[in-house]
Amino acid sequence: MNDLKIVLKEIAKERKDVWYSVLFGFLGGITTAGLFASSGYLISKAALVPPVYTLALMIAFLKVFGLAKAGSRYGERIYSHRATFNILARIRVNFFEKLEPLAPGIFQKFRSGDLLARIVGDVESLQNFFLRVYYPPVVLVLIFLSTMFFTAFYSIWIPLLFLGGLLLTGLILPALFAVRRKKLEEEVREARAALSTDAAEVLYGFRDLKIYQQLDQKEEELRQSAASYVNNQEKTGSQGMLNQSFNQSAGLLVSWGVLAMSVYLAVNGDLDALFLAMLVMLALTVFENATPMALLANHYEDSRHAAQRLNEVTDMKPVEAEEPFQSLDKNTLDIQFKEVSYKFEGESRPVVDSVSFSLPAGSKTAVVGASGSGKSTIFQLILGILRTEDGEIEIGGKNLKHVPSSDIWRHANVVMQENHFFFGTIRDNLLIAGESFSDVELSEALRLTDLNRFELDDPVLEKGENLSGGERQRLAIARAMLKGDRLWLLDEPTSSVDSVTESRVMSALFEKAENGTLLLISHRLTGLEHMDRILVMDHGRLVESGTYQELMEKKGIFYEMKQIEQEVFL
Amino acid sequence: MNELARYAREYKGTLILLITIAILSGASIIAQAYFIVRIVDQIFLQDAVWNDVLPLFGWLAVALVARAMLTFASGRTGAWMSAKVKQTIREQLLAKYTRNPVQASLQGQSGRKISVMLDAVDEVDSYFSRYIPQVIQTSIVPLMILIAAFTQDLISALILMVTAPFIPLFFVIIGIKTQKKSEEQMGQLSAFSGTFLDTLQGLTTLKLFGQSKKQRDAIEDSSFKFRDATLEVLKVAFISSLMLEYISMLGVGLIALELGLRLVLFESVTFLTAFFLLVLAPEFYVAIRELGSAFHTGRGSIGAAALITSELDQKEDRVQWGERVLSSDQPPEIAFKDVQFKYGEDGFKLGPLNAEISPFEKSALIGKSGSGKTTALHLLSGLMAPSEGTILVDNRPLSEYTEESWFSKLSYISQQPFIFSGTLGENIAIGSTRHATREEIEAAAEKAGLAELISSLEKGLDTPVGEAGRGLSGGEKQRLALARAFLKKPSVILFDEPTTGLDLRTEKILTSSMKELGEHATVITVAHRLYTIRQADQILLLEDGTLSAKGKHDELLKSASYREMVDVQEGGVPQ
Repeated sequence: MNDLKIVLKEIAKERKDVWYSVLFGFLGGITTAGLFASSGYLISKAALVPPVYTLALMIAFLKVFGLAKAGSRYGERIYSHRATFNILARIRVNFFEKLEPLAPGIFQKFRSGDLLARIVGDVESLQNFFLRVYYPPVVLVLIFLSTMFFTAFYSIWIPLLFLGGLLLTGLILPALFAVRRKKLEEEVREARAALSTDAAEVLYGFRDLKIYQQLDQKEEELRQSAASYVNNQEKTGSQGMLNQSFNQSAGLLVSWGVLAMSVYLAVNGDLDALFLAMLVMLALTVFENATPMALLANHYEDSRHAAQRLNEVTDMKPVEAEEPFQSLDKNTLDIQFKEVSYKFEGESRPVVDSVSFSLPAGSKTAVVGASGSGKSTIFQLILGILRTEDGEIEIGGKNLKHVPSSDIWRHANVVMQENHFFFGTIRDNLLIAGESFSDVELSEALRLTDLNRFELDDPVLEKGENLSGGERQRLAIARAMLKGDRLWLLDEPTSSVDSVTESRVMSALFEKAENGTLLLISHRLTGLEHMDRILVMDHGRLVESGTYQELMEKKGIFYEMKQIEQEVFL
Repeated sequence: MNELARYAREYKGTLILLITIAILSGASIIAQAYFIVRIVDQIFLQDAVWNDVLPLFGWLAVALVARAMLTFASGRTGAWMSAKVKQTIREQLLAKYTRNPVQASLQGQSGRKISVMLDAVDEVDSYFSRYIPQVIQTSIVPLMILIAAFTQDLISALILMVTAPFIPLFFVIIGIKTQKKSEEQMGQLSAFSGTFLDTLQGLTTLKLFGQSKKQRDAIEDSSFKFRDATLEVLKVAFISSLMLEYISMLGVGLIALELGLRLVLFESVTFLTAFFLLVLAPEFYVAIRELGSAFHTGRGSIGAAALITSELDQKEDRVQWGERVLSSDQPPEIAFKDVQFKYGEDGFKLGPLNAEISPFEKSALIGKSGSGKTTALHLLSGLMAPSEGTILVDNRPLSEYTEESWFSKLSYISQQPFIFSGTLGENIAIGSTRHATREEIEAAAEKAGLAELISSLEKGLDTPVGEAGRGLSGGEKQRLALARAFLKKPSVILFDEPTTGLDLRTEKILTSSMKELGEHATVITVAHRLYTIRQADQILLLEDGTLSAKGKHDELLKSASYREMVDVQEGGVPQ
């Protein structure tokens, strides 16, 4: 239950709807029972030829039960679903509040792209917890208790039978099945993972498999893992149905017992046979409520799993600055790296290996190197997204260890390789830079980034998927230009932009950044002639630094890279 | 749903079994009602003693257990059929994906295809495991109850018969009235659920701009809108089931009233009959109403089924192979004769290409991105067949040779070689179709420049790589691909820009390995480096899918477009 604290806390806040759900659920159950019991009583009574008014009364009774039953079911559904969606909404908000301080570091940690989709799915699957696990047992127990109370007027043995039946169908059988079920579901999960791996290998590795003539064998493996997945699913499905049927049988047999007991009592004269029909109808109806209990344990397990995975995420500690906190000064944004190293968890080689450099405030620096040489990690260290114990980073004389990340970000205009855009308009996406910009300013930013063809009201789809790669990059640059702070961090900002547009946009950007400290990770070696300094990274180490001119004269690594770039034909 | 029904029709035996189970279910429901009623009647009105009703109790128990077990049997049969169909569909999809050569060129869609194979196929499940058994039950059980009612009492049976059609009628009316509305709502629903994901994905951006706190309210707002929209849809469903309950309640009420009156006033019906009908009537309505919920579960499968069908219906161009064995150890003569290829009707068109490639020749294929270089390699490799024209190998069409004998001569090294989950050694070993010894694998690894990496690993060649194992860098993957080729000893090698984006040192190692590998083979490279291009025996320049120039570097300098490219290159990127 501890895992499910996040849900339980939210359920507690929906007290009113929870009460209504239980109340209507109870009313629904009890009126259904009443309806059937009274119809049994009615027909028996009618057989004894009573006065017509008794009959009329009974029928009126029946109608009331029927109306109340249908109405309560409706009420139960509405209230329980409303509560569920309120709970889900709160969990989402809550989860977001917990995740927010962890970002973006957490995205570095979980490199797998499906983390977020998984989170969304897990939150959704928690909806079954309230709807199928939390309140139905309460309703069930209440219905049984009332039934037992009612039948106690006829004989003490009948309520005892009901109690036994409740324990059997509501507790013992579901608990027995749950154990077996857990194992089966584990097997299904494993089989699914195997199938998914095999499918990925066949589809992604198609070309290699085909040419190396290994495709048939891999296909066979895939067919087998598909078969084993389907088999496992079938087994689990059957198991679930068997559980339900066992539960149903148990309920029916206890009803049978109730009938047998009543008949026995009636034969012995301890019970008026007039009530036989009523009691058996009552038993059959009441036990119908217990059948869904067979699957309660599954829903519980599923919810627990989902909650556990969510907790795993939120239990993580954010990488944060240490006290005493300091704040950056926008007028002195020089950057110092002193013997800085960084290693990702579980990897043996540092991605950044004792790197030292010093960039004066207002200077313009380029970082170059092959992919994987540690360029982006340097950025993330400056931004406080990653933090390291190994070496010291200072901005404006302040040790970054004591500067909260949010304070760094406040001073920084960042363009990353992949920038996120939200569903909305161009305007919405630009206003993320700050809400006070006028349309004139926004249009100017679009003009500077060669995006004139867009209107501010043009739609942007999720993740900006209706924009080209180059347009997305330029829109990100426009956003950073609007923000206009003094620390510019640009990670391959124009890798998808053609060279003519690139030089136009970059010169506009450099104009904006005139007074700022600028750091540019560049994939191309052209256009770096006017940078104050170029840092050359290789396998995590800073191997060369200097102006373009110096590096070219030195004829070292940068020079060699430049030669190769010239060799690159297309 | 027609596509799914087509699969179901193939399981005639199963459907007959389901019908049998449904008939038995109906019988057990009627039997249950009958035995209960008999027992009560015996004790209540006939003054029977315990022993008189004992056999009836036995039969009742049988009927009750049979009812529960038949429910199980029905579901079990459905699940069995569903498993069979799912396996069939997966195999069909697999065949479709692997036989369709364009697969090779559409690697980008693999993620989507995996999701079709896994998720879409799973979504089909409820149609077979629940919808079909339920539909069969619903079309048989009420009918049997109705017949049972007719045998007992005409008036009650008529009431059942007259009220029953109101239930499906109501479904239809509500369906028509609300379908459009609920479809609109559904659209909104998916938009809302997207917002949460969108916000989470954009969290980094939001934080860097200091905007993340505000998103909390946006999430709350969209969540509540999501709730309201969902409740709107659900309310419709709840109200319709409320209405249906009222209808069935009305029916049961009418029967109760009619039976009561006839029992008391006219004494024209016995207690046994009356009670029997009163027990059966609710069962009758419940069985009909379940069709509604079955319909609901079946609906979920439709979208998935449509997706699967559209995948399976996609046009496929199989590559034809022949019987002839390409035997010589020498690299073959290769020639393109009016080779053309078209992607779809209005898609990209390549060709006609005409070119000859002699044994041991080093050719460079150049052109802007999108000019058709990779397509040309795919055609030559035999992964795709030309739409028109032929590729000649030793003066015979490629399609006359056996697939096996051609592929065993060929290596294709792309930008992204695929690493399978397994050990490093196993990954190299797939290069050869025959069993490779440890020594051979080690030698191949050494030649590909992997020796240093392997010796640095604790488990050496037995280090697990791929999805579950150690991640390999881009350069290491390329070297692994080269090791496969060294093991294979191909006589035709196709390189598709393998050194793009690697660091200098890695590139040097790779280039020398590639050179060594190419010494005994014909090599066709999609080239990016002027260095490679200058060295080539033959340069093929592709522009917008057509071969605009071919020849050696010096010869090609006469071509305006080639010269322009070289000029741009040597003068640096234009500012």
